[in-house]
Amino acid sequence: MPLVIFVDDSETALASTRMVTNSMPIEVKQYTEAQVALGEIQAGLTPDLIITDLNMPVMNGFEFLEALRKVPSTARTPCLMLTTETKAELKQKGKALGLTGWIVKPFNPAQLKQAITRVLRLT
Amino acid sequence: MNMLSSINELLSHIKQVEEETIQMSQDSMLMLSEFIEKNSIELDESAAKGLQYQDIISQQLSATIEAIDSVQKAINIFENAYDSDEQIANDSIEKLHLKLSKTLQTAKNKREAFSGKLGHEDETDEIEFF
Repeated sequence: MPLVIFVDDSETALASTRMVTNSMPIEVKQYTEAQVALGEIQAGLTPDLIITDLNMPVMNGFEFLEALRKVPSTARTPCLMLTTETKAELKQKGKALGLTGWIVKPFNPAQLKQAITRVLRLT
Repeated sequence: MNMLSSINELLSHIKQVEEETIQMSQDSMLMLSEFIEKNSIELDESAAKGLQYQDIISQQLSATIEAIDSVQKAINIFENAYDSDEQIANDSIEKLHLKLSKTLQTAKNKREAFSGKLGHEDETDEIEFF
């Protein structure tokens, strides 16, 4: 099964995504700290899709994305931003950093599932 | 300066209540989500949205706590200046005003940034792909 990584400093946000994706044919790993997820990826974890929050302490979503692109195994891994931010300039920055898409919270469960299905080509 | 000290104490109280509210809302949401997961209940759109409000509430309150911290820091600097030299204190009033105005603007920007789709219901619900 494809591995999807969720990174969000909010445990409740992670619980929401977990409840929505638990019926999907995917393996899910969740992290409250981007630097921990990055450490595991650098150590050999190879996700098929990464979904990350933007505003997080220590390492934010953009810093995480930049670091991911420097790791050979995740240099081209699809990455979605799941955030409360709606500003066009932030979306542009994400696009320039190689982000696959932008999802604004609170997300619609059906659309989150569709986005994951589309990116992973599950159908 | 008694007035500023009272305001400072009031701000500390508000901050404490907000921190407790964040924790309580998080605990409440985690208890609820544990029940939902244990009973394999599938979330519909409104339930999923409702559960996600906690994250937004938490971010909004955290932003106001940051604003309070910033105001308290400015008040403390002013109080220290006032204690040491009244002339310095007079100069500091303008700095305090500027600092408070900047803090208010930062807090307003964060309110907008952490609102997500709330207040933008007229906008498309589509996920944006690049």
